[in-house]
Amino acid sequence: MGQGQSGGLPRPGPPGDKKAEEKKEKKYEPAAPPTRVGRKQRKQKGPEAAARLPVVTPATKCKLRLLKLERVKDYLLMEEEFVTNQERLKPQEDKNEEDRSKVDDLRGSPMSVGTLEEIIDENHAIVSSSVGPEYYVNILSFVDKDQLEPGCAILMHNKVLSVVGILQDEVDPMVSVMKVEKAPLESYADIGGLDPQIQEIKEAVELPLTHPELYEDIGIKPPKGVILYGEPGTGKTLLAKAVANSTSATFLRVVGSELIQKYLGDGPKLVRELFRVADELSPSIVFIDEIDAVGTKRYDAHSGGEREIQRTMLELLNQLDGFDARGDVKVILATNRIESLDPALLRPGRIDRKIEFPLPDIKTRRRIFQIHTSRMTLADDVNLEEFVMTKDEFSGADIKAICTEAGLLALRERRMKVTQVDFKKAKEKVMYKKKEGVPEGLYM
Amino acid sequence: MAPDPKENGSGVDRMDHDKQPAPNKSAQKDGKKKKDEKKEEDLSEEDAALKEQLELYVERVNDQNPGVQKMALESMRQEIRTATSSMTSVPKPLKFLRPHYRTLKGYYETMQIDELKMLLADIISVLALTMSEENERESLHYRLLGTVGDIGSWGHEYVRNLAGEIGVEFQQRQNEKPVDDLMDLVKQIVPFHVKHNAEPEAVDLLMEVESLELLIGYIDKGNYKRTCSYLTSFSSYMPEPDDILVLDVAYQIYRKFGKYPDAMRVALRMDNIQYVKSTFKDCTDFLEKQQLCYILARQGVSLDLDDASLASEDQKEALQEIISNSRLSEGYLTLARDLDVMEPKVPEDIYKAHLVDGRASAGASVDSARQNLAATFVNALVNAGFGQDKLMTATNLESSAGSSASNWLFKNKEHGKASAAASLGLIVLWDVDGGLPQVDKYFYSNDNHVIAGALLAVGIVNCGVRNECDPAYALLYESVNKEDSTIRIGAIMGLGLAYAGSQKEEVLELLTPIVTDSKVSVDVAGFAAVSLGLIYVGSCNEEVAQSILHALMERSENELGEPMARFLCHGLGLLYLGKQDDVDATMEVAKTLNPKISQYLQVTLDACAYAGTGNVLKVQRLLGLCADHLDKGESHQAPAVVGIALVAMAEELGLEMAIRSLEHLLQYGEQNIRRAVPLALGILSVSNPRIAVMDTLSRLSHDSDAEVAMAATMSLGLIGAGTNNARIAGMLRNLSSYYYKDPSLLFCVRIAQGLVHMGKGLLTLNPYHSDRFLLSNVALAGVVTFLVGCLDMKSIILGKYHYVLYYLVLAMQPRMLITVDQDLKPLSVPVRVGQAVDVVGQAGRPKTITGFQTHTTPVLLATGDRAELATEKYIPLSSVLEGFVILKPNPDYQHDHLSS
Ligand SMILES: Nc1ncnc2c1ncn2[C@@H]1O[C@H](COP(=O)(O)OP(=O)(O)O)[C@@H](O)[C@H]1O
Ligand SMILES: [Mg+2]
Repeated sequence: MGQGQSGGLPRPGPPGDKKAEEKKEKKYEPAAPPTRVGRKQRKQKGPEAAARLPVVTPATKCKLRLLKLERVKDYLLMEEEFVTNQERLKPQEDKNEEDRSKVDDLRGSPMSVGTLEEIIDENHAIVSSSVGPEYYVNILSFVDKDQLEPGCAILMHNKVLSVVGILQDEVDPMVSVMKVEKAPLESYADIGGLDPQIQEIKEAVELPLTHPELYEDIGIKPPKGVILYGEPGTGKTLLAKAVANSTSATFLRVVGSELIQKYLGDGPKLVRELFRVADELSPSIVFIDEIDAVGTKRYDAHSGGEREIQRTMLELLNQLDGFDARGDVKVILATNRIESLDPALLRPGRIDRKIEFPLPDIKTRRRIFQIHTSRMTLADDVNLEEFVMTKDEFSGADIKAICTEAGLLALRERRMKVTQVDFKKAKEKVMYKKKEGVPEGLYM
Repeated sequence: MAPDPKENGSGVDRMDHDKQPAPNKSAQKDGKKKKDEKKEEDLSEEDAALKEQLELYVERVNDQNPGVQKMALESMRQEIRTATSSMTSVPKPLKFLRPHYRTLKGYYETMQIDELKMLLADIISVLALTMSEENERESLHYRLLGTVGDIGSWGHEYVRNLAGEIGVEFQQRQNEKPVDDLMDLVKQIVPFHVKHNAEPEAVDLLMEVESLELLIGYIDKGNYKRTCSYLTSFSSYMPEPDDILVLDVAYQIYRKFGKYPDAMRVALRMDNIQYVKSTFKDCTDFLEKQQLCYILARQGVSLDLDDASLASEDQKEALQEIISNSRLSEGYLTLARDLDVMEPKVPEDIYKAHLVDGRASAGASVDSARQNLAATFVNALVNAGFGQDKLMTATNLESSAGSSASNWLFKNKEHGKASAAASLGLIVLWDVDGGLPQVDKYFYSNDNHVIAGALLAVGIVNCGVRNECDPAYALLYESVNKEDSTIRIGAIMGLGLAYAGSQKEEVLELLTPIVTDSKVSVDVAGFAAVSLGLIYVGSCNEEVAQSILHALMERSENELGEPMARFLCHGLGLLYLGKQDDVDATMEVAKTLNPKISQYLQVTLDACAYAGTGNVLKVQRLLGLCADHLDKGESHQAPAVVGIALVAMAEELGLEMAIRSLEHLLQYGEQNIRRAVPLALGILSVSNPRIAVMDTLSRLSHDSDAEVAMAATMSLGLIGAGTNNARIAGMLRNLSSYYYKDPSLLFCVRIAQGLVHMGKGLLTLNPYHSDRFLLSNVALAGVVTFLVGCLDMKSIILGKYHYVLYYLVLAMQPRMLITVDQDLKPLSVPVRVGQAVDVVGQAGRPKTITGFQTHTTPVLLATGDRAELATEKYIPLSSVLEGFVILKPNPDYQHDHLSS
C-alpha cells in the first residue's frame, strides 16, 4: 500500500458495497455507527490479514506437514482458477476503475492536507488545515471511519474541506531508511578467525529463520537474539555486516544513537515502528549497533533527556519481550561496553545469547593479516610473522589500520610494492596513536 | 541433527559463502577442492593431524595386506562414528574424506575380500550422505552392499537420509523388482526411529513402503499416544481408502494397549460398526464400559447391549441408561445449577433494549405478531433444556396475575401457534419423563396449529434421547395421516427429530407412503423426506432412496418449483451424508430427472455425500459451479456454496482456506451466490465466533440486498450460538436498532440474538466433538437442514415454515465437562481449561493448552478449548475430557501434606 490516497477507502469489500452504502443512506438516515470512534483500530492490515495463510503445524519436516502444505496449495490453485475464470468473464478491473473514478470525482482536485482534531459523530469532525483555523466539516461516507483517529493526517476537499481520505503514515520514513537494501560487501570470508562466534550467530539468528523445525524437534524456543560484545575493533560490526550479506531475510540496521530523538516520545515510537516494520517484512533481522547509547543501566535520571533515553530502552525491552509474538524477527545487538548495559536488557528470554569477541590470538591475527594484505602487492622481504608473533595487543581494526597505513606509506614514496619497513613504521604509528588515546601514566 | 548437510553443512568453513549463493553441486565441489588446498596451511594442528591420518587410512585401504586394509577400515569407521557435528557443520572426518570419495569407490571395485568389501561399503555409504548426486541414491546402494548391523550408530542424519532414499527406491522398483532387501533395512530403521522419539519419521517411512501395519509391532507404552495422534491427524489429509488404513493402524495400536475409549473413538471415526462392537465387547472393566457408553451416546450411536458380555441385568440397565442419554438432562441441569443460571430469562433480558438508542423500543409495535413469534423462539432458545421459563411454563402464581402460559400461546397467530406450542418442547428438552406431561395439555386443544405444535414438541423433547417406553412413536404415529396438513407436518417432523439416526423401521413404513403419494401436498412430502433422511442419515438406505426418487419423478414441474420441493432433495442427500462414492448410483438417476430439479439434486447429493471429508476435488467442482453467471431461475448455486463449506469443514486448514475462497465468491458472485455465502460462513464457524468471520458477516449484515443481510444476520447467530459472545451480542443490538422498521430483518436479528444466548450460553451447535475428532452425523444433518431452510428465507423461515428452526435441536449439546465418580455421581475436581494447541508431531511433552485457567468441574468448554485434569488424585477414563468423564481414584496418589 504505502503512503497514498488510496488509504481512505474502506477495507476490501464486495464491489457492490460502496453503491450499497450509498443506497442505504437514502433508505435509512444514519449509517450504522462504526463499532468504535476515536482510537485507531489495532491494525488488522486489511487485505494482508485476509491473505495470510493459516499456520501449518508441525514445523518438523514430515509427511503430515507435506500433506497439509499440499492441501493449502490445492486451495490456492482453486482460488487462482476461480479468479482467473472470473476475470476472463467480467474483468473486475473495469468495475473498480469506474468506482474509483467516481470516488475521485467526489474527492475533487486538488485536495489539501489537514489534521483531524476531533470526531464529533459518525459523519462530522473538526479538522484543521496546516495554515489556518479549525473547521467543522463532513466526513464522506466512503472514508473508512475505523481508521480515523484524532491527530491523523487527512485529505480534504479543496473547497468544502470535508474529509475525503486518510493519509496513512504507514511506515515512519526514519525506519524505511534503516532497511538495508543493498547487501554490504563484507562476507563471512572477510572475517579472520572468530569461527565459534560465526557459528553461534548462525545458530541463534539464521537457523531459526531458515530451519525453525530443528528447534521444535528438540522442543526449545529459538533465542530471540544475540548481543555481540568485546573491545572496539574486534569485528562485531563486521560480523553483523556479513550476516546481512549472506541472509535473504530483511535486514534492518540502526545505531543506538539514532534512537535518541528530539521530541518526547519519539524515541520509543521509533523503536515500536522499527519492530512493527520488522514484523511486517518478516523474516527479518534487526541489528542495533552501539546499543550502549540507549541501553545503559537505569539510575535516577536528572534531566528529561536522560529519562527519555530510559523510556526508549524500556520500549526496547518491551519489544524484545514481544507481547505480540514476533516469531520471525531476530535481534542482534552490539556494544563495546557490556558491563554498563542494563541487566534487564540481557536477562534470559530477551537477549539470552552473549557472544564475546576477544582480541585476536596468534592464529586469528595471521588470518586477519592475510585477509587485509591479500589485495596488496607485497615486496619479497615482507615477513608478516614478525607482527603476528608480537606481544603487543592488536585488535582486528588495528591490524587493518597497519596494513592500510603501510600501503599509504608505500604510496607516498610512489613505490609499487609495500616493504617490511613500511609495515614496521605503520605498526609503530598505529601503536602510538592507540596509546595516545589513553594518556600514559595517568591511571597508573 | 543437521537439517541437510548438503545445504548448509558448510557451517564453519565459511568459504562456501563466498559470493556463490546457490552454486550447483559439482561447481561447489571443485571450488572446495581448490579452497581446501589454499586453506591447508591455516588448519589447526589438530585438524591437520586428523586430516593426515585419514589420508593415510585411505591409502592403506588399498594396501596389499588384508590385515592392514582391515585395520585402516576399522580405524576410519571409528573416526567417523566418534565424530560429533554441530548443527551448522559437517563432522570433520567426513569433511576431510570428501575429496577421497571417488578414490574409495574405485578401491571398492577392485577389492577382493568380501568381508572388507562390506566394511568399505559401509564407509562409502556414509560418505555418500554428503557426496552423492541427487537421485543416485548411492548411500542406499552401498548400504545394501555393506554389513548388516546397527545402522543407528552412524548417526541420526544418516538414517534419515537413508530412509528418504528407500522411499524413492521403493517407488521405482514397484512391482518390477523384489523389495525384500529394502524391507530388511526398513525393519532396522523403524525401531531406531521409534526408540529415538521420531515416531513421525517411522510412520512416514512405513507409509512410503506401504506397510504401515508393521508399525504396530514396534510401538510401546511410552509412545503409542504420540504415534496415534500423528496417525489420526494424518488421516484427515489422506485420499479416501488410505485414510481408513491409517486409522485402522491407530485403532490396532490403541487396542494393543487396551485403550478402549480411544480405540472406540477411532472406530467411530472410521464408522466401522464391527470395530465399535468388538471394542465394546472386549472391554471387560465395567467402569470403562460405562465410559464407552458415554462416548457412544455423544455420537448418537445405539448399540444392542444384549450380546455384550455383561455380568448382570443391573449392569445392563445402567449401561442402557447412559447410552440412551437419559441422564443428559440431569447433567445439564447440574452444570446450570453449578454456574447459577437456573433463573429463567425473558426475551427482553436478551434484547437489552435499554442499551440501544431510544427508537428501537419505540418501534417495537410494528407487526407485533411477527415480533411475538420472534420472542417465542428467543424464549425457547434461551431457556432450552432448563425446564422453566416465564412465558410458556409460568407458574400458577403468575398465571393468577393474568399472564398464564396459554395467554402467551395465543399471542401468536395461526402457524405461529404451532411454533409457540413446540417451543415448550425445547424448554423441557431431553427431559422425557418430566416434559411430556407438560406438553400433554396441548393435545386437547381444538386448534390444529396448537396440536401440530404439541406433536412437534414431543419430537423435540425426545431428540437424542431414547426412552424404553418409546413414547414418541406412540404419541405421533396416528397423527401422521390426519387430514390437516399442519398436524401431519408436526407429527412427521416430530418423528424425524425423535428418531434421527436411529434407523427405526416402523417410521420408515409409516413415512414412505407419504413421500411417494403424489396426491399429498409437496410440503408434507418434503418434511416426510427430510424426516426419513434424518432417521436414516448416512445409511444409504435403498428403500428410502427409491421412494424419494420416485416422488421426484412423479411430481409435476410446477410442484418441483415450490419452495418445499428442495426438502425432497435434501432428504435424499441426508441419506448419503458423508458416504462419499456410495452416492454414485443415485447420482446417475439424479441426472435423468426433470431439468428443473436435476442440477439442484446433483449438487445437494454431492455436497451431502462429501460433507466432512475435506475432499479437495469436490470443493473444486462446487467452486467451478459457482463460477458461472446464470440466468434467473436456476437454483443450484446456493447449495453449491453451502456444499463448499460442508466439504471443507473437515479439518482446520481446509476450513480456513475455504473462508478465503468464500471471500472471492462474495466479490465475483451474483446475488444468488452472495446470499448463500453468509450461511456457508455460518456453518464453517458454527458456535465458534472467529473474529475474521464475524467481521465479514457484520459487514454483510448491512448489505443493500435484504436477503444477503438476513442470511448474514442469521449466520451471526450461528457462529455465536450458545457462546454469549459479547461482541456479537453488541453487533446484533446495533442491528436491531438499525432495522427497527423492517420486520423481516428484525425477526432475523431476534432469532440470532436468541441463538447467541442459546441455553444461556451452555449449549453448542458444533457437530464436531471429542477434540474435533468426531463428527456427529445427526448434528450436522440438523444444522444443514436449517441452512437449507435459510436458503429460501422469504418463503420458509419468514413464511409459515419457521419451525424449520427446530431442526437445530438436533445439533444442540451442552458444551460441558462433567466429571463423575464411580457411581456416576458428579464429582468436583480442579481442571485446567485453555485453548487447544496442535502438538501433533512434536517431540517431548509439549503443552497441549495455552492460556489456561483452573476451574472446578463441571465447566464450560468453548469450541477449540481443551481441558486437562489439574489433580493427580484421579485418573480420567477417557483421554479426551469432554461431556461426561468418569474418574477413578489414582492408586499411586500421595496426599501432599504441604498443600493441604
Ligand atoms: N576478525 C577480523 N577479521 C578481519 N577484519 C577485522 C576483524 N576484526 C576487525 N577487523 C577489521 O576492523 C574493522 C573494524 O571492525 P568493527 O567490526 O567495526 O569493530 P567493532 O567490534 O568495534 O564493531 C573492520 O572493518 C575490519 O576491517
Ligand atoms: Mg562497531
